[in-house]
Amino acid sequence: MSGLKIPKYKEMSMKHKLNVYSKPKYVYIPLISSNDENITVLVNIGDYVFKGSQIGRRKGNFKTPIFSSVSGSVIGFEKRTISSGKSVKCVVIENDFKEKIEKGFKQVKKLNNITKEEFVETIENCGIVGLGGAGFPTYVKYSTHQKIHTLIVNAVECEPYITADYFIIKEKCEEILEMIDAILEINNIDNCIIAIKTTNKSLMTIFNKYIGTYLKIKVVLVPNIYPMGWERKLIKEVTGITYEKIPSEKGIIVNNVSTIYAMYQALKLNKPMIERIVTFSGFGLKKPQNVLVKVGTPVDEVINYIGGSYKTKKLVMIAGGPMMGTKVDDLVITPEVNSVLIMEDDFECDVQECLRCGKCINVCPANICPVLIKDNIDDTSALKSMNVDKCISCGLCSYICPAKINVREYVSIAKEKVGK
Amino acid sequence: MDKIKGPYMKSKNTTNKMMMHLVISLIPIILFSFYKNGILPYYHNKTTLLGMYYPLIFILISTFATTLFEGLYAKIFLKEKNLKKYSINSYSFIPGLFLGLILPINTPISILIFGSMVASILGKMLFGGFGNNIFNPALIGRLFIISTYAIVITNNGGYLNSYEVDTISKATPLSNVATVTGIGSYETLVEPYGSLTDFFVGTIPGAVGETSALLCIIAFIYLTITKTIKWRIPLFYISTVFIMTLLIGSINKVGIWYPLFQIFSGGLMFGAIFMATDPVTSPTTKMGQIIYGLSLGILTVVFRYLTPYPEGVLTSILTMNMLVFIIDKIGLKAKMDYKKAILPLIFLAILIIELPISISTRYKVEDVGDPNFNIISSKEENNNVIYVVTQKGYVGDIKAQITINNSKITSLEILEQNESFYQKIVDANYINKLLNEQNNIDNVDTVSGATITSSAIKKMVINTLEDYGEKYEG
Repeated sequence: MSGLKIPKYKEMSMKHKLNVYSKPKYVYIPLISSNDENITVLVNIGDYVFKGSQIGRRKGNFKTPIFSSVSGSVIGFEKRTISSGKSVKCVVIENDFKEKIEKGFKQVKKLNNITKEEFVETIENCGIVGLGGAGFPTYVKYSTHQKIHTLIVNAVECEPYITADYFIIKEKCEEILEMIDAILEINNIDNCIIAIKTTNKSLMTIFNKYIGTYLKIKVVLVPNIYPMGWERKLIKEVTGITYEKIPSEKGIIVNNVSTIYAMYQALKLNKPMIERIVTFSGFGLKKPQNVLVKVGTPVDEVINYIGGSYKTKKLVMIAGGPMMGTKVDDLVITPEVNSVLIMEDDFECDVQECLRCGKCINVCPANICPVLIKDNIDDTSALKSMNVDKCISCGLCSYICPAKINVREYVSIAKEKVGK
Repeated sequence: MDKIKGPYMKSKNTTNKMMMHLVISLIPIILFSFYKNGILPYYHNKTTLLGMYYPLIFILISTFATTLFEGLYAKIFLKEKNLKKYSINSYSFIPGLFLGLILPINTPISILIFGSMVASILGKMLFGGFGNNIFNPALIGRLFIISTYAIVITNNGGYLNSYEVDTISKATPLSNVATVTGIGSYETLVEPYGSLTDFFVGTIPGAVGETSALLCIIAFIYLTITKTIKWRIPLFYISTVFIMTLLIGSINKVGIWYPLFQIFSGGLMFGAIFMATDPVTSPTTKMGQIIYGLSLGILTVVFRYLTPYPEGVLTSILTMNMLVFIIDKIGLKAKMDYKKAILPLIFLAILIIELPISISTRYKVEDVGDPNFNIISSKEENNNVIYVVTQKGYVGDIKAQITINNSKITSLEILEQNESFYQKIVDANYINKLLNEQNNIDNVDTVSGATITSSAIKKMVINTLEDYGEKYEG
């Protein structure tokens, strides 16, 4: 499995302390869950909602709930852009800044006393989803009957610029370790591997301060290679195990470190998925930094709050990291958004003829041949034998191309063609 | 296609940079060519001041010519408006630069320019320009020149520069191989050019820029570190030739110098490192590159030993260019399931081992007699034995009547010959020299400028004496 060392640009958002933006006048809660817009809306215009009230629920098999992140009244429904670039119907809530809570967060004293059923139910009811960017409901991973032997905590954060996971470890290391220990106990998992990048050795010292009594938890350094945070590659790296479809078939669960903290808040404080740490970075921002933001907050408000962007340059906003993120004009925060980048718009460049150097094939972590897919883009039957569906859209092929061809776009088109 | 779609980060690696690295890696090679073909002859008073700069002028002309022809083609047939941008993006100087380096120094300028045109137009533009050509354009140009004008170039002096003509009496090392009997020895293959060090450094006759193995290896390291070339191709190519010739050498009980001689001659290093790795015309997959390198090695050995074309490198590359499409298909399958590559690899491995064995058995048969030598008649007359024999020369058979009296040749009369440079043999009084030194015939030097003809006559003498020894003595 290949991959590549790419520039990090992480230092710029590490210079400032973790900031908090908790006072949006309005929040726009997108009625979407794991890219599914089939949502039962539980509120009407004029309703008063508490912070943490359910305002919607996904239909179908996964009944992921959607919560209000503030207390206040529902004033309407509006379409807003989310991180995938899609425009999605949102519940607009006017914040009364009272931060009222419906039933009061009851604090659980000992996490380890929870049964597995309670555990799964709580993280389901609190709407915990993967915070690494995929947004997959977390409880599903733990509903398996398979014996799980290893929990891998993904703190690799391999995309450039993003430091949200770094900050959550820095701020909440003790809580994270407590939660992991509880997860191991509750689900009868033998051990846990926390994976961090070799370039983040400072985190190792933080972990070492607290890890003493947690004998089942081990912190492992992984190479500074993109896409090291990809589940398949990470599992191969730290355990040597490969799997067919999902990691649990080989007794492994992978959780992002931010997800672990969200689970802590859910189980210990009964606090649903209503806020997260987001990295605001990029050369277009005056003060790149990490901010704890409520779900539904419009991004421009946060940017103004942290010092704004340079007005002199032509800028673009990217939801997510530079490799896999999407260009958006406007954005509201959802649990999937781990970063918002404001960058100079210098992406347009001359595309040259492919010189068949084969670099896209060499770097592809999914072991497919992007240039050959591009060659056969009009031949659907040939594409079928090329494993196009294995593409994880990591973007390395486009990144490395010396002729600046957007190779990933061709693979996406091929994926669509084969999917039909 | 929306160019603005992500990723919003691009590597600093560009086609321009790769081409720049390529040119940088060629600079020492060009300078060495300038030294060997220009400065050295000038230093020894073999050429004029203009002649000293001739190698550089030679390379410049072809470089300029392909740029010009591509530009003209783009202007006339593609109605290209921004010619400057087109030429830059098309890297139109590259085929010319390479063509200048892989031709004999004595290629007439008019032919060089004509070959440049063929390289650009036929080799590149007719396929659709940069990125779409199947064959290496420079090799197309060379193939055209060598197949059409070989005689003209040879008459003009061939591969030898004005200094080499006087110091080295033989043509290129590999064309010399064709003239020796059997597998050859260090004395017959290497010593005429100095030592193996000369082969390594590059002070041997050959095309303008492809003689120095050392500089090619330095360029290879540079290009590999800068990730400019597909390094697997030259590595597997050269290793295959080395292993196969090592096998041939050990079966024939010659030393380690033999495989080294083979990989240092015939422009193998240059061809493997610069021509076989041309990104456009080589496989893109890793396994494809390995298979490509192995096949090139096998083909080169086949060309060198089993066909009359001794050099083989450029012919092999052009042949394999045609198969890149299929090789990449194997590479694609191997990428998804490495087991798919096992069968082709086993097949190639068998060839790598089997071919040297069968090639070596050919030599054993040849040892019995020279296939280029024929006895038409032999009769005894008053204590004399009169032979009429033929020996294959440079152009055709040389027919001669040889009279032997008491194990000694008393006369050698050439009956028929069509050799291009026969006059040189006459001028050198070569036949009389041979007859005078017939007991120490190895001491007689061949005639420079008529190497093949003179060594053929020498062999004719040896072969006839051998036959006489078997039939009439003892």
